[in-house]
Formats: sequence, C-alpha cells, structure tokens
Amino acid sequence: MPDECCGPGYASPAAAMQAPREKLLYTIAIYVGTGIEKPDYLATIDADPDSATYSKVISRLEMPGIGDELHHMGWNACSSCHDDAEMERKFLIVPGVRSSNLHIVDCATDPRNPKLHKIIDGAEIKAATNLSAPHTVHCLRSDIIISMLGDAQGNPPGGFLHLDKDFNILGRWENDLGGMKFNYDFWYQPRHNVMVSSEWAGPNTFMPGFDLEEVGHLKYGRELHFWDFEKKAVKETFYLGEDGLVPLEVRFHHDPDSSHGFVGAALSSNIIHWWKDDGDWKWEKVIDVSNEKHPEWPIPLPGMITVILLSMDDKYLYFCNWLHGDIRQYDISDPHNPVLTGQVWMGGLLGKAPLVNGHKITGGPQMIQLSLDGKRLYVTTSLFSTWDNQFYPEIRENGGCMVMVNCDTENGGMDIDEDFFVDFGKEPNGPSRCHETRYPGGDCTSDIFL
Amino acid sequence: MTGAVTITIANRGGASFLVDPKKPLLASLEAQGVSLPYGCKYGGCITCAAKLLHGEIDQQAAVALNNKQLRDGYVLLCVARPKSDCTLDVGVDSHDKLYRNPFAEPLKQDELKADIATQPEETR
Repeated sequence: MPDECCGPGYASPAAAMQAPREKLLYTIAIYVGTGIEKPDYLATIDADPDSATYSKVISRLEMPGIGDELHHMGWNACSSCHDDAEMERKFLIVPGVRSSNLHIVDCATDPRNPKLHKIIDGAEIKAATNLSAPHTVHCLRSDIIISMLGDAQGNPPGGFLHLDKDFNILGRWENDLGGMKFNYDFWYQPRHNVMVSSEWAGPNTFMPGFDLEEVGHLKYGRELHFWDFEKKAVKETFYLGEDGLVPLEVRFHHDPDSSHGFVGAALSSNIIHWWKDDGDWKWEKVIDVSNEKHPEWPIPLPGMITVILLSMDDKYLYFCNWLHGDIRQYDISDPHNPVLTGQVWMGGLLGKAPLVNGHKITGGPQMIQLSLDGKRLYVTTSLFSTWDNQFYPEIRENGGCMVMVNCDTENGGMDIDEDFFVDFGKEPNGPSRCHETRYPGGDCTSDIFL
Repeated sequence: MTGAVTITIANRGGASFLVDPKKPLLASLEAQGVSLPYGCKYGGCITCAAKLLHGEIDQQAAVALNNKQLRDGYVLLCVARPKSDCTLDVGVDSHDKLYRNPFAEPLKQDELKADIATQPEETR
C-alpha cells in the first residue's frame, strides 16, 4: 500500500516492516580508554550484500574533540512526526557521555558520508540546565528530549534535556522528578499518556567503572518510574528490589494501543514486564537468567543484561548477556509467558564461544539492533570504555567487532551469519570499540508511533 | 612563574615540565604539548588517571577514585594540582592496577570510595 503521508517514518509498525532493507548502518566507535589519543567517530558500514564493500566501514566521521565517549544516539525525527510534512529524518544526535557534548550529524545530504552539522557544547548544557551525561535521545513530534544522567557535577538523579527541532536548548523537559534517584533510558506511549524511565547510576559512580559493592550502598538504581507524559511528572514509582537491580533499556510494544513493555535489569539479569490492568500499572518478573559459577572467581557471574529490544511486530524479545556471552530470542506473543526460541553464543567470560566463524571475539554480545522486517540482528561487543577495561581488558589490543545474526521470524531461532563481520580491531587509527547502531530509515528502537 | 614545580613523566622518557601548582595538571601539561587521555574534566571519570610515583598532589575533586585506586597511587590529572615536584606515569600504560573485575577480585570495605568506605572491624 503506498504511503500517502509525507513526513518521516511510517504510519504504523506494520508499514515499517514493509520498508526496504537497510543498506547502511551507522555505528559509533570510541577511542576513549584505549590509549589512542584520537576522537571517537561515527562509522558508516555497508550492509548491502550486493555491494563490493559489503560488511566494511566505508566512512568515518571524527568528532572535533577527544574524550567524548560516544555511546547512544537518536534521530531528530521519527514516526511520531509521520504526519508532519515539514519534518525530515535528517540528523542523528550523537551525545558524548563524558564530555556532555551533543553532536548533530547530517546523515541525509550524503547518507554514505555523514557530516557534522552543529555541536552543542557540554558546558553550555551544564550552564543552562545543570545537567550532564546525555544518554537516550527520542523525538516528540518536533521536539527532542534526552535523558541526562547527572547534574553538572556528575551527581544523580539528573533529568531530561529539552531541545527544539533546530537544536536550541529549551531547558529541562520535566516538571517533577518525584522521588527519582537515578536516570537512564526512557520510552513513551502517548495513547496511554505514559512515559517509563529506568535507573543506571550517577555519572560519578558508573563512569569510573563498576564496583559491585556500590550496588549494596544504593549507588545503583532499582526502581522504574511511570510518568504522566502530558504533565511531565513522575506519577508512580515501582521498587523492583533484588529482582530489578540496575534496570536499563526500556521498551514499550511498538503497537501504540498496547500498554505492555519490558525492561532488562542488568545486574539481576531479569526481564521485567509491565502492563496496565484495569487502569492500574502492574509489573512482574518474566525471565530470570541464572548466575554462573566461574571456576576461579569468588562471586557468581550474572548474565548482565545490558540491552533488550522488541521486534517491530512485538512478537520477539531479544537480549544479550554481556558477561555470559549469549544472545537470546523469546517469543512474547503472550507477554506474561515468554518462550525461549533461540540462543547463540559469542565471546563472553565463560569461554563458550571465543571464536565465531573463525573470528576471535573480544568482549561479549552487547548492543543490538534489529532490521525493520525482524530478520537481521546486528550485534556489537563493547559496553562502556571503563567497564570493557574491567571485564575484557584484551579489547584494548583487539578492538570491538560487529556480527549479524539471522533470525527466523516464523518458527523462532537464530544463527550467526558467516559472511558479515566488521572488525574494529583493524581500523586505520588502531583498535576501536563499537556500540550502538542505527539505520537511515529508522529501526526497532528509534521510532515511536502516536 | 612564581612557585613553579617540576613534573617528570617517567613513562615518556623522563620528560619534565615546569608547571603552575595552582592549575590542574591536565591543563598545564596539555598546554605544553603533552597528549593525554581525558573525559569529563571534573574528576568524575577515570579516563585521565595517572600514577603518582613521587611527590604530593592535591586532588580533592577526584570523586571517581576508590580507596584502593588512591592507595595504588592514582591521581586524576584533570583536577590534580601538584603540591611539590612530582614524577608520574601517564596514559593507559599506567593503568595496570586501575581496572579490576569485581566478580574475580571484590573490594574490601575499606577499599570503597571515600563516601561509603568503612574501616575493617579490627582497627575500629
């Protein structure tokens, strides 16, 4: 069916699934913490299997400064602006977690060779809003909001930065943080007038690396916040306790009528499901990944679920156990009762898959991005420079990598593709580490439907 | 420069630099052409960590270091001001003791960051 509308994105998740296959990938790559005094950069990867440069980095956009720690990123416009002909999915907003700089990158003028359009200086953001450490970027029609994990001194709880469509700082987005202690990821579902936000830790806690003992001292999050989206105020907070230590990626169903959503609790290594039941928000633990005993270490090793995502049709949930080394696929047709349908191994600390298709894997499966049709999952191996250095110190010499996992959308199941492998250990300036990935046409974690 | 002190970088061939003790070492050394890693520039991350081999440093704003890292001699150059002549190892080559897998080597109570560390029972 031709799309009658002229704004960015898609009319519905079903329409998004019919979009052409992704031919380019944008992935951030970092030199922070590697010993190489070069800027972090946005790598463009050729994902067209008919191209001569398939599975290769075809351009690199260096940031102007050193030490940003690029991490997550988001579009200036998504399907939430689909009915607005004035809007265009043109710019990626690429924050530096450590520097608090926001890099606005033009990906539309020449999609194979993105160019820097503008920088919002971290010092300017701190001065205007007393916020630092930008993380998740979502657009709200023509506005942009960014979760900020700390105040200007790096202390929690942080808040939300509000930009207009021309990237002017409007101030803080939220009116009332309620009792929110930390900030991290967020997603909103306007038909239910709700936003859900999660908790990592204050920048001064997570930036230097992970000390397990700090979890017990309440330096890491364990709560989930349900916002009145229109009032921009936290309405209800769920204490997840030991089941929900360090809740990270927040994913609502793409179906805008649905109230179901999921969050991965990284340290507890549980998947928490929420939904609205007769007007009340409820939550439950639906997946529990057991800790594994490492033969030489005193403390059992959690899976460390550092990412989750849902397929565009809301049928499958994917997540990674960054420390164990497995990627899992669950059928969530019944969101109360996920069924494990696929599992593959790459890297990790348990030694189950040091080699994949002949390639040495350093790190574990970390950030993932799924094609709109649900068939290709792109996986990178680096989490965060200091955490990488703690758990996978050899990544300094070997760099990160990206693999592609083929997903069976009919019967479930996954296998790691033999032909696609991007080795960031062989970058021109030396081994770098790749993290979040996006496509020019939107992906399974960028677009929200009104 | 009044009261200037000498900073020697042991792992860069013993190169030495005269610096103003009132300024953070990262700024002073970068101004003299030393390429160093850094991130937040306020003492909240450990990207710029260096190891102090000799001398004395004031780094009250270095909230990111835990007591173990402090005892191992780490200083955060973005907020560290020298109180005397100092010798340092810089960059990731100095980070041999900075990073630790917490499941393999958990911290003791007195090795945590200053705001949550407690003394061991026997010395209380």
